[in-house]
Amino acid sequence: MKRSLLFILVIIVVITVALFVGKSYTKGGKGGSSVIASVLKPQDDGPANGTVAPDFTLKTLDGKDVSLSSMRGKAVMVNFWATWCEPCKIEMPWLVDLQEKYRKDGFEILGVAMDDSGQKEIADFAHKMKVNYTVVIGSEKVADLYGGLDGLPTNFFLDRNGKVIDSFKGLRSESVIVDDIKKALASETKNASLTR
Amino acid sequence: MKKKFAMVIVLLAAAVVANVFAAAQDQSLSPAKRQFVTAAPVSTVYARSGHPGPVTFTFHIQPGYHINSNKPLMPELIPTQLKFSLPGSDMAIGRVTYPDGQLMSFAFDPSQKLSVYSGDFNVKAMVVAPPSATTGLYTVHADLKYQACDNNACYPPKTVPLAFDVKIGSAAKSGKSARPTASSPHIHN
Repeated sequence: MKRSLLFILVIIVVITVALFVGKSYTKGGKGGSSVIASVLKPQDDGPANGTVAPDFTLKTLDGKDVSLSSMRGKAVMVNFWATWCEPCKIEMPWLVDLQEKYRKDGFEILGVAMDDSGQKEIADFAHKMKVNYTVVIGSEKVADLYGGLDGLPTNFFLDRNGKVIDSFKGLRSESVIVDDIKKALASETKNASLTR
Repeated sequence: MKKKFAMVIVLLAAAVVANVFAAAQDQSLSPAKRQFVTAAPVSTVYARSGHPGPVTFTFHIQPGYHINSNKPLMPELIPTQLKFSLPGSDMAIGRVTYPDGQLMSFAFDPSQKLSVYSGDFNVKAMVVAPPSATTGLYTVHADLKYQACDNNACYPPKTVPLAFDVKIGSAAKSGKSARPTASSPHIHN
């Protein structure tokens, strides 16, 4: 009798622990605020901070090839966006202003459009948003290199040596972007020959 | 007796543990790999020539997310749309009716209203059978295309596949419903 009771007690404990672990495990997947928390975490599936951002070559809106590595020597913000992404649209005017403000210091934004829509639609949208930085048309391959890009916008900030200094997905305040740009600009080029 | 009881308890515990971990694993998937919308099962639709069969599709959007309505307010936004794949020329889909979107603004731009669905929503359609339709039971496949966002980010467009049965009745039986008799295995009411 005692053994049976002990056995049942063990089973109850196992179920309780399983429910507790499950609940802790799912925390962040449900509810509005926890969704935000999960979105605001760093882009942890892509290239890590301190590593060189994977190179890619993509077509600009007027059909020219642009490589990320060709921007070495500059502080670069790689901004993954799409025309259907409302939060991306919010930060675009900020990016236009920041490109204008920091261009002379050696800062470049590379917008990577992750749309399925055609080049013309993307170009029309970029024109409407008065985009003054280079926009290229993204691909699945590049998305995979950068952690799958499961949410937009996703931004990577690269120092003058092409190393990631910060990244995040989801909309953040303009001041956060400015801080990352300043950090990227403060970096020194290790190999002078890479400077354009 | 005690052994059987203990065995039942063990199996029950194993089932609970398996379910909890399966649910946890689904929740831990990145948003790109997760569905934000699920479709409820659809009952068999009955239609015959001159008597279209109404069908209602019920969808559930995960808490914390919203999707564009069928008529978003901006042309670049991707509308929610149900696309059908018919099994042949024995039926057609008539008017598809989407609910009006809720006009909402979100934390990323409180000044901008968007037309969205959140929570549960229904899409209604009519299944139409032409006079030449062959009677029988057909399976129709459909895809709900949507694009979800939360308060800070948007996720790539996705589709929810669904399927439902359509029973095409004989047009010759004037005044009679295409609904089969109680002996039919396809009755769902």
